[in-house]
Amino acid sequence: MRVPQAWRDRAKIWREKMSASVKLFMKNKAGVLGLCITMTFVIMAIFAPYIAPYDPYKIVDHYLLPPSSKHLLGTNDIGQDILSELIYGARVSLLIGVLASISVVSVGTIIGIVSGYYGGMIDEILMRICDIILVLPGLPLMILLASLLGTGKFYVLIIAITLNAWPGLARLVRSAVLSLRERAFVEAARAIGASDAHIMITHILPNVMPFIVSAAVYRAAAAMMAEASLSFLGLGDPSHKSWGMMLHYAHTAGGWWANYGKPCWWWIIPPGLCIALFVSGLMLMGQAIEEIVNPRLRRR
Amino acid sequence: MRVRFVLTRFLSLLITFLLVMSAIFFLARATGDPFAEIIEQDPRVPPEAVQRLRQRWGLDKPIYLQYIDFMKAMLSGDFGYSVAYYAPVFEIIKQKLPWTLFLLSTSIVLSTIGAVLLGAYTAWRRGSRFDLIATNTSLFIRAIPHFWLGMVLLLVFGFYIPLFPLYGATTPGAHYSNAFEFIKDVLAHAALPLTCLVMRQIGMYMLYMRSATLEVLGEDFIVTAKAKGLTDREVLFRHAVRNSLLPMVTITALRFGFMVNGAILTETVFSYPGTGRLIYEAIMNSDYFLLQGAFFITSVCVLIANLIADLLYAYLDPRVRVG
Repeated sequence: MRVPQAWRDRAKIWREKMSASVKLFMKNKAGVLGLCITMTFVIMAIFAPYIAPYDPYKIVDHYLLPPSSKHLLGTNDIGQDILSELIYGARVSLLIGVLASISVVSVGTIIGIVSGYYGGMIDEILMRICDIILVLPGLPLMILLASLLGTGKFYVLIIAITLNAWPGLARLVRSAVLSLRERAFVEAARAIGASDAHIMITHILPNVMPFIVSAAVYRAAAAMMAEASLSFLGLGDPSHKSWGMMLHYAHTAGGWWANYGKPCWWWIIPPGLCIALFVSGLMLMGQAIEEIVNPRLRRR
Repeated sequence: MRVRFVLTRFLSLLITFLLVMSAIFFLARATGDPFAEIIEQDPRVPPEAVQRLRQRWGLDKPIYLQYIDFMKAMLSGDFGYSVAYYAPVFEIIKQKLPWTLFLLSTSIVLSTIGAVLLGAYTAWRRGSRFDLIATNTSLFIRAIPHFWLGMVLLLVFGFYIPLFPLYGATTPGAHYSNAFEFIKDVLAHAALPLTCLVMRQIGMYMLYMRSATLEVLGEDFIVTAKAKGLTDREVLFRHAVRNSLLPMVTITALRFGFMVNGAILTETVFSYPGTGRLIYEAIMNSDYFLLQGAFFITSVCVLIANLIADLLYAYLDPRVRVG
């Protein structure tokens, strides 16, 4: 089968652009550091069963043992190995990060493009909805949604996070579309009779893509934070190990005093540190990508 | 002109508010009525009694009448009854709200001062070692979950170096011989939660101030001010900071929402008796009416804060007033 020349040209341009972007990214030390941190956690999540020394769902030893050579980070209040819990916890964070980010980005992008492209009444209504969600306090809104839709379910967390986070992205995409809409190539497409849907998908979407990539990374980080907060408040999915959930139990089930009246630091410190590292890794990556996309941000 | 501006702001606020409450009502009805479900599942309650109860609570009316009832109740402060506290939700919230407002207002003031000073200073000394350390630290603080920051503070300054009390807003059962002792006790209890909130807020907003100041520092009038022979301090505070404060006001408006998030998590960690902790308790006890009431109150507070910030912005920037 012969591939049309136009496709080959397009693929070539895309490849060149990508390799230039990768080169720029690799020059950004903070971005590479962020990538390394993120990859470490991703590998940890994917190969959790092979890395974790114990099954985190099983009771493997006495409760609340301090760190030792047998349990590098000790055990929790029911005798589960904390290091194994941590390694498995990366899975929930990664999954929430990826799924919520996909969900927020698709909803935000679609609404942003539609709103910016059509303008008028549709734009007005969608943007008023955005305004309303933007002024409301985020966490209480997510809590209320989670408790209305049923707590302790994975998809409920994603819905709650999405409903709370799409307006920010939709605004961003809309403002980009507003200027794209007036460009000559869109007018040309319209002149040869392209449909609105066609123009939005083939002409506008590829041009807002760069904004979306860095936004997607930031949304993943924000989603992880939101999951951790909701799980900490006891709204997480109890059938999975997550860092927020570990802290929830540490806070409610004796992490402060059960170590002979003293707090169990090995139970409290590591999960939060993991969240902070994973999130900052993503934020560093997001920043590096943003600098590539938006040359004005590059350091002079 | 100004009257019209205030009026439109106020109206949009009211509409936002009504829409939110309607959304809550319909979501709650769509996912089932918690009260009716509990009663109907109890085999000891005969159907006539269920019917009577439904009538008593107005659940047999058509949905739009129920909606009107709901809105009327909400607006008159009747948020229902808490099943965990055995008290009307309104009474509980009335008791807890002052503590949260105290925490939030204090931390907003402190963190704004901190963020403005640090942001202006790092922008002024752009590229210096101090700037690098401060900006990187603030980036990392943004990645730290609120509640964990609180837990670490509690671990270090509550347990290992016991400087501050571990929980609550006052010492239980304490008698104060004078107001000074009471204030001292309250401040000691608020110190760690406030540190937690302020640290994160500074981390979040120092960078905004920094970039706003950087932008202003590139303007011609700064060069003029320098050329006039003003000292660095005068240039920075009289010319640069004044102008970069304006975007900070808008951000302050958006901050209230984030502050409420922080308050929920921080109050939970420190068992601080505010509305944030109340929301946590409501989740733990599946106390739906309490949760709804607390959400209502926090939303109202955030919306009012937004209105104030909008008006302040209009007052500071005459360009907004005209539009």
